[in-house]
Amino acid sequence: MKISFTGPLLELKNAVPSFEESGLPPVPFNMRLMPGDCVFIDIHDISRATMLADVCSGLVPLESGSVQFMGFDWCRLNEKEVNSLRGRIGRITKRRSWPDFMPVHMAIMLQQLYHTTISQETLLFDAAVLSEEFGLPGLPMLNPNSMSAMDLHRANCVRALLGRPQLLLLEDPMRDASRELIDAFLRAITRARDYGAGVVWLASGNAMRKYYQQGVTSALRFTDNGFVTVRMG
Amino acid sequence: MSSKEIIDPVVIDETDRERTWVHFVLPFFLTVVALGVIAWVGITSYKATNNGALKLTRDLMDASQRYIGQEVGGYIMPASAGDMVASSMLAYTPPQLRDKIFYSYSTTMLQKVPQLQSFYLANDQGDFILITRAQQKGVFDHIKLVTKGKQRFFRHTLYNIRGIKIKEYEQSAGQYDPRERSWYKDTANVKGIKWAKPFLFPADRQLVMTSSIRFHSDDGHTFVYAANISLNELSDYLGDIKIGHDGNAMIVDNDGRMIAARDMLIVPHLFSSRWAVGRRLTSESRVLGPTNHPIFALGYDHYRVMGPGAAYITRKGKSYIVLSSKLKYSTGWVLLIVVPEKDFSSFATQSRRQSLKFVGIIIVFSGLLGGLFIRQLRRAERGLRIITEQRSQMIRESTAVWKVAVAPDLFNPTAEPTVLTEQLVQVTQARRASLWRFLHDGAGIICEDSYDGMQNTHTGGFQIGRSQLEPFFLAVEEGNIIEVPSADLDERTKAFDRLVMREIGTHALSMYPITGSLQRVQGVLILEDATIAPYQQYFMALVSAISGIRFSAQTQNESRLSSREDAKEKDNKIEKSILSPLQFNNLLMQDPALDSMRGVGVYDAVAVLVVTFSDPVIMNVRDVESLLTLISRLAIDVKTVAEEKQLFAVELAGHRMICMAGCTTQSDSNALVCIADAALKMREAFIRTLADADLEPVFSMGIDYGPAFGGMLGEEGHVFNLWGQTVSLAELMAESASDPGVIQVTERVYAVLREQYLLRSRGTFFASNLGVGRAYTLVARR
Repeated sequence: MKISFTGPLLELKNAVPSFEESGLPPVPFNMRLMPGDCVFIDIHDISRATMLADVCSGLVPLESGSVQFMGFDWCRLNEKEVNSLRGRIGRITKRRSWPDFMPVHMAIMLQQLYHTTISQETLLFDAAVLSEEFGLPGLPMLNPNSMSAMDLHRANCVRALLGRPQLLLLEDPMRDASRELIDAFLRAITRARDYGAGVVWLASGNAMRKYYQQGVTSALRFTDNGFVTVRMG
Repeated sequence: MSSKEIIDPVVIDETDRERTWVHFVLPFFLTVVALGVIAWVGITSYKATNNGALKLTRDLMDASQRYIGQEVGGYIMPASAGDMVASSMLAYTPPQLRDKIFYSYSTTMLQKVPQLQSFYLANDQGDFILITRAQQKGVFDHIKLVTKGKQRFFRHTLYNIRGIKIKEYEQSAGQYDPRERSWYKDTANVKGIKWAKPFLFPADRQLVMTSSIRFHSDDGHTFVYAANISLNELSDYLGDIKIGHDGNAMIVDNDGRMIAARDMLIVPHLFSSRWAVGRRLTSESRVLGPTNHPIFALGYDHYRVMGPGAAYITRKGKSYIVLSSKLKYSTGWVLLIVVPEKDFSSFATQSRRQSLKFVGIIIVFSGLLGGLFIRQLRRAERGLRIITEQRSQMIRESTAVWKVAVAPDLFNPTAEPTVLTEQLVQVTQARRASLWRFLHDGAGIICEDSYDGMQNTHTGGFQIGRSQLEPFFLAVEEGNIIEVPSADLDERTKAFDRLVMREIGTHALSMYPITGSLQRVQGVLILEDATIAPYQQYFMALVSAISGIRFSAQTQNESRLSSREDAKEKDNKIEKSILSPLQFNNLLMQDPALDSMRGVGVYDAVAVLVVTFSDPVIMNVRDVESLLTLISRLAIDVKTVAEEKQLFAVELAGHRMICMAGCTTQSDSNALVCIADAALKMREAFIRTLADADLEPVFSMGIDYGPAFGGMLGEEGHVFNLWGQTVSLAELMAESASDPGVIQVTERVYAVLREQYLLRSRGTFFASNLGVGRAYTLVARR
């Protein structure tokens, strides 16, 4: 799928999220993420990281300002366009996201099946390849409650990278991950950035920097007054 | 996801729809239609009866009215007829006979017509004679106005009924002049009978009315003949006639004054206001009004507005029928008949109530019958369903028994007992059926076969140690059938639920102990989420018995195998001393047979063990030196184990190490066991060595077993390499091991080793080009 657009991949222009809907401070947030960039956002409260990722996905209404993804303002799109555009976002979230009634392989493919027109066969094949890449013997076909936490972590990575997403919203993705998984994950996001995907890495402190210092293009800190640029290195 | 798990809520089963129509909608519709028809017939009947009753009531009222009118006409007619007859007689009578004829005629009339009160005769000369009833019964008073001098007297002469004079006296007449009386004056210019207004007769306080007629005699004088008729008799008559139960009649004149009514002198109780009860009638109280006769007053008002006819009047919640009509032979008199509606409409009301009762009873019974009909239909349908289910169950059971009976190798312990679990699921409708066998030393339990009815898949070989399921083991060993509706809540089965059942989300657990020929519990038959009828126990007993025979044979085989392995191990120790010296190049270890191999060969059953190491973090030269020392120690460990287990070759390639066994032209059934033993020993050695170096396990292992191709390469033939899916899968198993230090094996390896090694399932996975398969973790040898 060839995608052509110019300008920032994700841009928050004085975006003031609704406090009632998100609990985020109703202050203007500004950020620009170019294709291939990786921005690290230091955020203390991981639940706020989830809400911030929701803001970037156009899931939180704004008091003012705009959030544009691939040049499109979320607020100006109709429902079908919004759904289609969200198919280009890969997320690793701390929110509970594995339904008990569905095996993991379906849950992995569900987002792409819903938001995109990629065939199930293609997704199945890609998911199996990604699963092996992230240290699974294949695409897991178990129920989530039958899987270990580490295997679910791997499945999380598979789901986020499935469908060649243009934007990766990662909420502390490598917490408690094994060294092998971290390596595989960093390889995967580096490859994604190579084809033009942007990465928003939301985590607390600088734990991430110790193994991906060289990959970060900019770093911000989430405060009650909005984003504050922090010095890298 | 199995297609059975996908339920489309939009789709309604045709059978359900038909059942709904036949068992609910149609009977309900028919019942409603029947009730509607009954209600319609009832209402129509009610209306017809009601109308008929009302018509009959009206006819009766009309007949009563006509009858009363005729009676009243007949009552007052003698007065007017008498006037006409008497005037004609007297007009042509000689003057000297006039009085005599008057008295004769009048006396006769008084004797014959009881309502007549008196007769007058006066002329234009002031002469006046009168005959009236005396107060004494049967006595008539002949009165004549006589003049003596200047005084005028009434001469009373009393005669009895036989005409004998019994008394005579005179009474002053004062200034009485008949010509001044209204009955005389009002006849002037009147042709025919003139009725005067009723008045209270002063003598006996009776209400009387005068009819008078003017005529001329042959001698040229003008005479007025008058007759008084008593209205009390009319009132008595009205009081005597029966109109309904509480009906009443009244005659009023055109000024609204009562002429006649029941109990005229005493205001009747029924229609009077409270103040008038018991009071005597006066001229004022004769005026009809809301205070004395409110119902008649309303009826009269209606008459004045609407004219004669029937009217319905309601007062104080009670309905009355008022009939009004003009009376013949009267001067504008009106006959009013008042009847409480209930008197005449009681039949209609009763008929209406009866009709409504009948309709209600029929509707209730119809409803009950409809309900019973629906209930009976449902019961019949339920019964039919049960019979159908029982029939299909019978067929299932018969088929299951037949399939078990004809299954080949049913008692062969080496053959998979798939038919048993499949038929268990068929018979009990369980989600999953499995057969578990205790290991010969009782240290664990192994799943011989597990059949998932929903997924239609067989699995098996899971092993669970006693330490993990102690309460479960104890419960099974007691030898009793155990049925647990929620396995996660029962202490005995809680751990089993966590380890086995939770994976597919089953809850209910049924356990049937399997007792073999050794007369001890050798295993257990387990059904998950099964529906078991009591009579089906025979099938479980049958399967348990068959399984018991199989398990006994398996246990005996295991014992023999164990003995043979012990003997083989002794032989290996002897052979080890005569092995040729090893040659090392890229191979850490090689079998002497390798020397004789040249070119590329295909091997049917190669066991491949791949060990992968994480990339080391090297900070300085000392790190490199210590790392090489560590690797050297690990290599020695590998070589030692490989030689001990007689592996075919061990190849080093970067951070990977490939151990192989079974690369022979003849399939070596022991190759996989050697590789598995080697993997366990290597893991133990690696962990020990790494722990000595204060390092965490940085390796993982993968084993596969299957066909591969390879051989000695190069001119000198010192390079042996192996390719194929088996090697790739072993690598995949090693790289995708769940944790460091874990030995992950494929399903093919598990199928061979499950009886001799402890393995745990990691789950089902889909791999491109390989399809769906399970991965297992090799834990230990039993």
